[in-house]
Amino acid sequence: MRENPADLLPELCTLLGAVLGLLTGMFVPRQRQWAAVLVCALGVLAGLVSAAFAVPGPRVMTFDAFMLDPVTHVTRVTVLGSTLLVMALAFKPLRGHRRETEFHVLTVFTALGTVALGASSDLLVLVAAYLLASIPSYALAGFGKDAQGTEAALKYYLMGALFGLLMLTGVTLLYGLGRGTSYETLGRNLPDNTVVTVGAILLVAGLLFKAGGVPAHFWVPDVAEGASPVVAALVTTIPKIGAFAALFRLGAEVTPHSWALTLALVATATMTLGNLAAFGQDNVRRLLAYSTISQAGYLLVPVAMAGRTDLAEPALLYYIAAYALTNLGAFAVVVAVGRDRIGDYRGLAPRSPLLVLSLVICLLGLIGTPPTAVFVGKVLMLGAALDGHYTWLAVVAAVNTVASVFYYLRWIVPCFARADEGPVPSRPAAMVAYLATALTLVLGIGSGIALSLN
Amino acid sequence: MSALAWALPVLPLAAGALLLLAGRRADRIAPLAGVLVALGTLVLAVAAAAQRPKVTFPLFAGLPAGLHVDGLSAVMVLTVASAALAVLVFAAGDIGADEPRARFFGLMLVFAGAMLVTVTASDLAVLLMAWEVMGAMSYALIGFWWHDPERVESANVAFLTTRAGDLGLYFAAGCAVAGTHSLSLGALADAASPWRDLVAAGIVLAAFGKSAQLPFSFWLSRAMAGPSPVSALLHSATMVAAGAYLLIRVHPLLEATGWAEALVAWVGALTALVMGAVAVAQRDLKQLLAASTCAQIGFMVLAAGVGSVAGGAAQLVAHAAVKCLLFLGAGAWLTALGTKDLGELHGAARRFRLVGVTFGAGALALAGLPPLSLWVTKDVVLASAPTPLYAVGLAAGVLAAAYSVKALVAVWRPEDALTRDDTDQRGTRHVGLAELLPMPVLAAIGAGFGIVALPGVLGPWQRLLGASGEHGPTAVELLLSGAIALVVAVAVSRRPVPELRVAANWFYLERAADRLVARPVLAFAEALARFDDRVLDGAVRMVAAGGRAAASVASRRLEFPADGLVDGLGRAVRRLGALARRPQTGQVHTYYAQAAVLLVVLALVVVLVG
Repeated sequence: MRENPADLLPELCTLLGAVLGLLTGMFVPRQRQWAAVLVCALGVLAGLVSAAFAVPGPRVMTFDAFMLDPVTHVTRVTVLGSTLLVMALAFKPLRGHRRETEFHVLTVFTALGTVALGASSDLLVLVAAYLLASIPSYALAGFGKDAQGTEAALKYYLMGALFGLLMLTGVTLLYGLGRGTSYETLGRNLPDNTVVTVGAILLVAGLLFKAGGVPAHFWVPDVAEGASPVVAALVTTIPKIGAFAALFRLGAEVTPHSWALTLALVATATMTLGNLAAFGQDNVRRLLAYSTISQAGYLLVPVAMAGRTDLAEPALLYYIAAYALTNLGAFAVVVAVGRDRIGDYRGLAPRSPLLVLSLVICLLGLIGTPPTAVFVGKVLMLGAALDGHYTWLAVVAAVNTVASVFYYLRWIVPCFARADEGPVPSRPAAMVAYLATALTLVLGIGSGIALSLN
Repeated sequence: MSALAWALPVLPLAAGALLLLAGRRADRIAPLAGVLVALGTLVLAVAAAAQRPKVTFPLFAGLPAGLHVDGLSAVMVLTVASAALAVLVFAAGDIGADEPRARFFGLMLVFAGAMLVTVTASDLAVLLMAWEVMGAMSYALIGFWWHDPERVESANVAFLTTRAGDLGLYFAAGCAVAGTHSLSLGALADAASPWRDLVAAGIVLAAFGKSAQLPFSFWLSRAMAGPSPVSALLHSATMVAAGAYLLIRVHPLLEATGWAEALVAWVGALTALVMGAVAVAQRDLKQLLAASTCAQIGFMVLAAGVGSVAGGAAQLVAHAAVKCLLFLGAGAWLTALGTKDLGELHGAARRFRLVGVTFGAGALALAGLPPLSLWVTKDVVLASAPTPLYAVGLAAGVLAAAYSVKALVAVWRPEDALTRDDTDQRGTRHVGLAELLPMPVLAAIGAGFGIVALPGVLGPWQRLLGASGEHGPTAVELLLSGAIALVVAVAVSRRPVPELRVAANWFYLERAADRLVARPVLAFAEALARFDDRVLDGAVRMVAAGGRAAASVASRRLEFPADGLVDGLGRAVRRLGALARRPQTGQVHTYYAQAAVLLVVLALVVVLVG
């Protein structure tokens, strides 16, 4: 058994950063809380760097519950990188806030839980990671202490409580049937029967809550609209990464009975509902929320194909990284503009052409237009579905993609309309938007290089 | 050795190109440079004639090209270089300082250089290149005074006519490659049967065009539009001589075909006869000389046809000297007196004695009077001709005597009351030293070149040209032609010759070419253009109009249902979208219920289906 703490260096760095940041925040005055934020950011940065250095390492299990494989590596790098972007996005709006440090520390803890979620290969660690990833984000949703934020936080928490309970039930069932909690044992012992299917569905339901998939998607639009835009960007991006990694690992290593069918049905329902509900939206945050639901549907396709084709893993990993960057870029534009109604974006193009260009690239990226990163992810996703003999799923995904063009364009068009006055975007958030957009293009164009690393 | 073969044409070509590039900046030094280069070229020509250099070089894959100075080429390069020198010395005095002299001397040097390549080329490709450069230079020189639209028109006629003939040479080159897998001039006679005939036809056509044989003769009349030195060079050793040279060069090919020899011989003889008649009818000195050139070249072509290489070459050299001299004389008078009309030139020879004497010597030689050169060389040619051709040749000789003496009498007759100067241009009343210098030399050569036919000299001359065994003229033949020339000369000097209107107009050859070739071609082209505009373009426009009509039908008949389908789909999806937002009630207890129901449904479906 391998128990080398160095294997967990990224997580330990991040944890140390968060704890030291919290302590620093307690002892520095409000105007100098940036020092605590800096400590947190350095911790995440150190985690990111050590995660990057860990990528070429061998595929090993450490502490009996932590798998070091490409899924974990990509989860770590994507989550920690996205966390840095979210922290950059939050820095200006929260500058001088009474609980500035707390916000960043909670963000980092969410990220830490998410990484653990994606890396664990034991049901008990998975549950612990689920709680670590969830509870800080409930607090973040209600961080503003305003009516909307509180309602959002409450809904988020209540949904999380229900699905956490269901998940624990599923874990209990599988533990009883498989006589163990590690994926290795479960994969060996689980019988092929109905009870296993029910247990797996309950377990998946918990992870779907984190991923924002049907039927656990209800919180997504409400939180995205009710919480602050930065929190909306956070909760629609970071927990999903870990949830999909965990789902994929479950499918690939345990492969419960009827896995592919269950996930394919969920994927179909998720992408279709997300797209249809996004059609009539006038609120860009709700629109993006539904868009993330539909993207979750696409992401569930390679999860469903886990273990059926070799394409599934690169498809998921590539798509998840591309999605995280693109979604953050789009939310960064929302944060920068600071308005929620589509009509408020009229006349943005003449004032901030670069910001509109970023928005257009991100939205076209979410559609899956070359040369953005999501395009490559989508191609791999469709390839995985075809390769796994789920042609109908590929067709559904393709039809949904075509349908999604409509509502993304509904947002782009007003930006180019003439208007006497329009929003004045905030510069720091705009910089994050540019950075995320540039990264999606780099990732898209360098897709060959990015794929060859896997 | 090979360096000499290169240097001979490259010297005038490079110097000419430099002068052309320098433009008017080089006007001051151009005459001196031109004369020096021509002198250097003559020295190189003498060396080449003595050493006979030969060079081959790769031009096209598998088709080696080359320059080779053999016996015939040696004679030609000496003739070309000498004529070029004489003409350029004359031009140094004749072309005024206010003219673009650099352009003139540059073009003349390139012209002469191209002719040197033509006569030394050992294959069709190099010959063709030089041939084309020569044609282009002749165009530029005839149109030298390009401000005058009529002269440009003349240059166009001359260029297009020779160019039409030149197509034959391209055709011949293609057929030569097909027939012999080489472009070598020496190998042409070995081509297989259909190719051999096609090669011969192409070469004959090109040579007739260049040498202004029937029916191409009219362009030479138009070539008079250029400056006098141009005429002198173009009519003596270059351009027109090139065609005759080419026919003499490929005589083995003509012989091998069986038909080309007779065709060439007859065309040459008839040209000599018909153009002699044209010359007799001319009143313009330069036009008379031009027509006489056609006629005299006719003898060379006849020589190629009857296989008298020695005679043809001798005729070429002697005629070059004589005609060069005569054009220089005519040019000197045109510059000095401002006229070239025979009626107005009365007394011209008396006013400029040296010009008059040398011109007289040239004219007497051209008349074929014994003991001067053309009397002998013409008889060497005719010695090889069968009787009918001999008779035609004699008749042409009669006409030659008539037009030569006509011109001679006109310039030596005393000035009378009706003689006017300056009918064509303002004369300078002055003939300079440079203009006079070449005339005595040319007169000496022109008068004395007949020695090649002397019994002791004819043999070596034939050996030089590789034509041993050809007939020489008998004493009877010589006496007969000499006597006829003498009688005609005396008769013409006594009373004026009748001038046929049709002959004065060059037998309307240009008009015929215009009516029979140029206009039908243009009409055909216009018809094709109309066809293109109306039929082809019309069809394209029809297609476009049809496409538009079909589109409008489609938009009326098909668009509405298709559009309706799309609209309906959009409406349905929008309704579904509204439906999809219905579960999002905002109330947590409904969320719980929905989630629970959906999970149960999912579990049931998976259990039942899976």
